[in-house]
Amino acid sequence: MAEAKKVILRISRFNPEFDEKPHFQDFEIEIPKGMTVLEALYFIKENIDPTLTFRGFCRSAICGSCSVKVNGHPKLACKTQIWQEIERFGTNILKIEPLGNMKVIRDLAVDFSEAEEKLKKVKPYLIPDPEVIPDTNDEESIVYPEEMEKFDKFTDCILCGTCYSMCPAVMFIDDYAGPFQFGRIFRFAEDPRDGLKKERSKIAYAFELWKCIRCERCADICPKHIHPVEAVTHLRAMSIEKGLTLNPGARHAIAFYKSVTSTGMLNEAILPIMSKGIKGVLENMPVALSFLLKGKMPPPIVKPIEDIEGFKKVVSLSAEVE
Amino acid sequence: MKKYAFYPGCAPKGAAIESYISAKTVMDKLGIDYTEPVSFSCCGAGNVEEVKPYVALGINARNLAIAEKEERDIITICSTCYLELKKAKKQLTENERLKEEMNEILSETGLRYEGKVEVKLLHQVILDEYEEKISSMVTNKLKNLKVYPFYGCHTIRPRDIIGYDDPENPSSLERLIKLLGATPVSGARRILCCGFHASFSASEIAMKLTGLNLKEAHDMDADCVITPCPLCHLNMDANQKKALNTIKSQFIMPVLHVQQLIGLAIGLSPEEVALQKNVIPALYIV
Repeated sequence: MAEAKKVILRISRFNPEFDEKPHFQDFEIEIPKGMTVLEALYFIKENIDPTLTFRGFCRSAICGSCSVKVNGHPKLACKTQIWQEIERFGTNILKIEPLGNMKVIRDLAVDFSEAEEKLKKVKPYLIPDPEVIPDTNDEESIVYPEEMEKFDKFTDCILCGTCYSMCPAVMFIDDYAGPFQFGRIFRFAEDPRDGLKKERSKIAYAFELWKCIRCERCADICPKHIHPVEAVTHLRAMSIEKGLTLNPGARHAIAFYKSVTSTGMLNEAILPIMSKGIKGVLENMPVALSFLLKGKMPPPIVKPIEDIEGFKKVVSLSAEVE
Repeated sequence: MKKYAFYPGCAPKGAAIESYISAKTVMDKLGIDYTEPVSFSCCGAGNVEEVKPYVALGINARNLAIAEKEERDIITICSTCYLELKKAKKQLTENERLKEEMNEILSETGLRYEGKVEVKLLHQVILDEYEEKISSMVTNKLKNLKVYPFYGCHTIRPRDIIGYDDPENPSSLERLIKLLGATPVSGARRILCCGFHASFSASEIAMKLTGLNLKEAHDMDADCVITPCPLCHLNMDANQKKALNTIKSQFIMPVLHVQQLIGLAIGLSPEEVALQKNVIPALYIV
């Protein structure tokens, strides 16, 4: 007989017909080693409470429907083993909640429509380039492996919404597209068959591309290891290449780049004015004064690193890498 | 004990100079074998990558190669440098073609990257190699101190690049705090973001996140916060008042660099760990 442990699944319950707000309900059940969160939810639904509502279709970590928060972290319920989570948190209580950044419909089921609408708006489909894609089906439209390499992993996105559900930028900025949406834009921006190609970075720019805070959480929790933040980084580079620089974020990146590539070190003192102009200086004045009082004001002139010529050679040759 | 090339990063040489001073005094006191190569460059902090991704890779391949030439691992006190260096290392490990291309570039400057160099944060080195030594040096000074450990995003994420500690429930800082004789008070926000990297593009969000993180520490009755990241420190220390204004809250929460707390615990004076250079008064906690 398989080893088993008694575990309390503390599940968020919400029925809009009766409840003003969500509350937790505990279910104490025997969990055999290897049992997933989704299997436990089905067990409860079939044996204890048939009203428990959640989504879970493929049970193979490919449809993305069963995403929930497990002890605060978004995961695919079908891929998450309960014993492993218990060991991770050193407790026999697992808190299961619906994804964040989305409206709860009932219990663990959330309304995905806002994220979906944002995805639709960013044109998440191939717009054929007539110069690359043949007119008839008689000829193939080839993508070479070295081209595919650039966006391959972004084609693995299963739209599970885990990245979207914990993104701080999504939480605070209405117009921010979201991590998986930027991943999709990047995927087509790099596809040689696409008609818009790098022009797609303009779409990303319009959907608050520079508001990503680079917390790396989307890269960390993606069950398919896609790293949406990498898409953001690349789209930012593309948008700068397209001349979209009238933004404090872009100006900051450019100032940073210029400073580092000219001396090998960052000149912290110039960043506020280079990024936000006089407004940046005024905003940073109290902090600058406190640094002055503490005798740690960054110097306005930075001494170049040793072997600056070698460094600059590396910079100029790396800039040519495709 | 291993040999290290010390990579302080830009902020600890400028606005977070107390981080640099305290790291050196702590490493000296512990007898860590380190050099500080003068040809190390800035890692780009993710910003260089946003303009030219391969330039960021090139400059970090160069930094790794410099340490490798000295046959030393890299020890850093900046979480973003830590991520950038480790990110470059992963890219070069996983893509042989790219590694050869980068090596062709590096060969123009007499360098080559093989992949031997490891990159570690100071507190990681201390826990992995100096735990015993630290415990023999710890005084009783921090006995009654409750410390909130704030990890900083790039200290723990993403796990497939960082590979140290558990990003969902990290414990290295708690372990360190206990080793130093203080008491960890851990809240759920300790693994969240302070927003530093959006300081110019979404400053209001950055300040709000920083405020909420500080508030959790305050609500948990912490005497101070520690962080291994000088950028999180900038937001939580220098920008504390502004951050708390965004959440309509006011209190004083000292924020120490990890190595400042280590230094205090092993008998260094507040001046030796440059505590007087923190913007939020911190001297009173000891």
